[in-house]
Amino acid sequence: MQYPHLLFVAAPLAFALLCLCLPFAWLRMASLVAGALAHLTLVARSWQVPAAPPAAEAYIALDPLGHLFLTLNSVLFLATSVYFVGYHRRKLVSQRVFLACILALLAALSLVAVSQQIGLLWVAMEAASLAATPLIYFRLGPRALEATWKFVLMNSVGIALALLGIFCVAAASGSADEAPISLTVTDLMQNANRLNPVWLRAGFLFALVGFGTKMGLAPLHSWKPDAYGEAPPPVAALLAGGMTLGAFTGILRVVQVCNAAGLATFAGSWLVVFGLLSIAVAAMFVVGNNDYRRLLAYTSVEHMGIMAIGVGLGASGSYAAMLHAMHNTLNKGVLFFLAGFVWRTYHSNQIRDVAGLLHRHPFAGVLFLSGLCATCGLPPFGMFYSELGILFAAARTSHWWVLGLFAFMLSVVFVGVMTAMLPMVFGEPSKPIEAPPAPVPPQRWRGGFMLGAAATLAALAFSLGAYQPAAVKQALDDAASTVNGPLVRVAVTQRPQAEAIP
Amino acid sequence: MSVLRDSLAIPEIVAVLTLPPMLMSVIAKTKARFGGRVGPPWLQPYWDLLKLCRKGVVYSRTTTWLFRAGPIVSLAAMLTAATMIPVLSPGTLLGFSGDVIVVAYLFALGRMFTVLAAMDTGSSFEGMGASREVTFGTMSEPALFLSFVVLAIATKHLELGEMVGPRLISVWPSVGPAMLLVVGALMIVLLTETCRIPVDDPATHLELTMIHEVMVLDHGGPDLAFITYGASLKFTLLGALLLHAAIPHPAWLGIADAPLRLLEFGLLAAIVGVIESSMARLRLNRVPLFLAGATVLAGLATVLVLARSHA
Amino acid sequence: MNSQTILDGALVLVILLNLAMLAVSRLATCIRLFAMQSLLLALLPPAIESSHGNVPGLHEALVAAGVLGLKVLLIPWVLLRILRTGEIHEEIEPFIGFTASVLVGAALVVGSFAITAHLPLLAEPVSDLLLPVSAATILVGLLILISRVKAVTQVVGFLVMENGIYLFGLMLLKQTPLLVELGILLDLFVGVFIMAIVVYHIRREFDHIDTHLLDTLKDT
Repeated sequence: MQYPHLLFVAAPLAFALLCLCLPFAWLRMASLVAGALAHLTLVARSWQVPAAPPAAEAYIALDPLGHLFLTLNSVLFLATSVYFVGYHRRKLVSQRVFLACILALLAALSLVAVSQQIGLLWVAMEAASLAATPLIYFRLGPRALEATWKFVLMNSVGIALALLGIFCVAAASGSADEAPISLTVTDLMQNANRLNPVWLRAGFLFALVGFGTKMGLAPLHSWKPDAYGEAPPPVAALLAGGMTLGAFTGILRVVQVCNAAGLATFAGSWLVVFGLLSIAVAAMFVVGNNDYRRLLAYTSVEHMGIMAIGVGLGASGSYAAMLHAMHNTLNKGVLFFLAGFVWRTYHSNQIRDVAGLLHRHPFAGVLFLSGLCATCGLPPFGMFYSELGILFAAARTSHWWVLGLFAFMLSVVFVGVMTAMLPMVFGEPSKPIEAPPAPVPPQRWRGGFMLGAAATLAALAFSLGAYQPAAVKQALDDAASTVNGPLVRVAVTQRPQAEAIP
Repeated sequence: MSVLRDSLAIPEIVAVLTLPPMLMSVIAKTKARFGGRVGPPWLQPYWDLLKLCRKGVVYSRTTTWLFRAGPIVSLAAMLTAATMIPVLSPGTLLGFSGDVIVVAYLFALGRMFTVLAAMDTGSSFEGMGASREVTFGTMSEPALFLSFVVLAIATKHLELGEMVGPRLISVWPSVGPAMLLVVGALMIVLLTETCRIPVDDPATHLELTMIHEVMVLDHGGPDLAFITYGASLKFTLLGALLLHAAIPHPAWLGIADAPLRLLEFGLLAAIVGVIESSMARLRLNRVPLFLAGATVLAGLATVLVLARSHA
Repeated sequence: MNSQTILDGALVLVILLNLAMLAVSRLATCIRLFAMQSLLLALLPPAIESSHGNVPGLHEALVAAGVLGLKVLLIPWVLLRILRTGEIHEEIEPFIGFTASVLVGAALVVGSFAITAHLPLLAEPVSDLLLPVSAATILVGLLILISRVKAVTQVVGFLVMENGIYLFGLMLLKQTPLLVELGILLDLFVGVFIMAIVVYHIRREFDHIDTHLLDTLKDT
């Protein structure tokens, strides 16, 4: 067929239609899981086909960057659908719409990953936000409504600014004759030296601000704590791990064009500035925060900042950024799944109501602890190596200020998160603050599903931390070189310049 | 042709000086028609002025020379401005480069003396009217000045007599939208300065709702005649600016220029009468928004004309 | 009066409508002014085409029809329906006041004229007012979004911002693919539809649509 990659989009949509139509609740859940499983199978099969560079003027193609993010999304969605089997209760307002929206979100994010034309990418990204909005409002009630309103408004403004950025890029490539402008990344990169730099700069800035709003970069992150705090935890995991990748793709495509046009330092410095700002904001709000889901949202802001800094530091930091993206998806899955488990057990959003998880549910406690350590960047989890990689990249490119600020703020975040959340794991087990509304016996199989999904992701994160198998490393490398060009490893004779990633 | 023009100068001056009360009459007739009435006779304002001139005056003991000077200075200011503003034809009696500023300041001078005369009486009603008048005058000044700026940039002359007429016609196509905005701004300024609805109701008898009339409550006899005539002359002069900006006459009209202008004046007065009859007065706290709108219109026109002249 | 003057007049009217939206306090009037502005914008693509001397083609007709159907008819209808179901009709005096926001809006318009004078224009644009007016519309839309209190007005502010971006895209009309433009319109419509639903829920839940009162979620 002409566009085999559209199957990634069509398959989840087909299962979404099934979710809308099937009569029984358990059938619908099964079709959710089946849809995610089908998507993962398709993605796994696509890795066996040798990759080809995307043809010019092709709207849809799979380049290494898109392939990596597609795989990450797929894994996360499958884990989330399994988790959701264990998490859901009868309180769903419209289970059909909810499940269909999850699969629609998967379809939209797949379209973001495979689209090579930035206009199409924009449409897909907006479709993803629209699919995510009913998911946030799922719990009804004033708090969820307020979170949804802020999400909708800020995301709409962000996506509008991203559209302006895309128009500016199109204006940069405009010519006197009215030939149709091709907005595919390959074409833009080929015409890079004919692009008008003023318009390209303006376009990059607008796209950075616009897609950065969706990604959660400071100072446009304020919707994140509200949305992640009020949405159900599996939805928050999808947003934190999946939609941020989609928004990041948008930024990276424009970065690709800027690099080809010679504006690499300009783009890189703005990315670093926004990244440092995000980590600083996260550091400020993480200390003393009492709501564990909002705290996780702020760590998400921090991780987005780290990824931005990694890409902004050029070719040396890109591998670390991709590694960080991979681990961000896995870790956010683990943490939000566990947050949902905690919510079901303790029925409270406040940290001070939750204590002694390790004693009540040892397995959950261990998983939570491992997720915490992974997020804070402790070895042997992957984020340690990615953050170390960024430090080395900053040193290699002599950005000493960046190095210093980065290290300092990361340590502040570390202290904040650990002091806030370690008491949740250790300490005397606290009673849940209220009895569950209906006398539902704690079903072991629900906990099994929830913790099983979390455990799988945690195992993946652990195994891909210290050492990545060659295939994974190659994939990360290819993705990194798509954005910033391959890293030229210069061997200095005095000191062997060892690559940061073992 | 220019001999004909020169010989027509004296009749033209006479026409300009006798026009204002007729315009007031047109407004009154229009409002009457809207109300289903016949209205006062056409020459009523003239008879009123004559009657006032024959009356005696009573001056309060609390007033000083300011009170007596107020009406005289405001009328003198209007008459001086009349020499510099082209009313019926593009020519003016006294014209020099930069006379736009003198004209604007003459209006302000008239307003200042009216306000001072009002405050001189020591009455609270006049003071209240004075404060309102000054506020609204402050907010309408920028609109007036910016309109002059637009005309000056468009025609590249600073003399009022040169800003209108054939030169304006030649630049209309390129700055068309800007001129429309200027017309809108000048209309709002006209309604404000001559105290018409929607800014001020000339027919109200409640002092708390008055702005201009309350300032002249204590004047009588010839003073009141001066003030009334001065107000109508102000209407004529501002209307002249508006009409010249809105409908510039080409040079080939020749003698028919003046009669056509008279017709347009009548039309303008009728339009003002229609506006007065169809709208209610704005709430007092919305009037600054109205005047800010005039400033914004004029400012927008300035930006447009600047953009065009640089392009 | 050539087509150039008409185009200029239409663009100036767009700016005036922007400033009018800043000045009115009745919500229904604000929505209708937006509909009027979208009508002007919908008629622009065919007008631009005919000013170049060509007959408007399918591309322009489809885009014009899309904008007409969505932004002039459907979206204002949805928003007006929400107003009808509630008892909210007037906007509260915003944080910076109506008069001040009109003056700030005018300053933004002047600023956008000043800034865009320095931007290099690509091809010969159909009117040199297009870029400043689009920048001014975006800025005024952002101003309405930020400074207003009622949720419906914030949605209108967002829509005005989208109008400005659309105006900007008009410069590249022939050169962007039709499919992408239609996709943008569709996304916009669905987005506003969802926003309208959220506003409806807010009104039902809280009995008001003052977004300043939505402040329970904060960091302790």
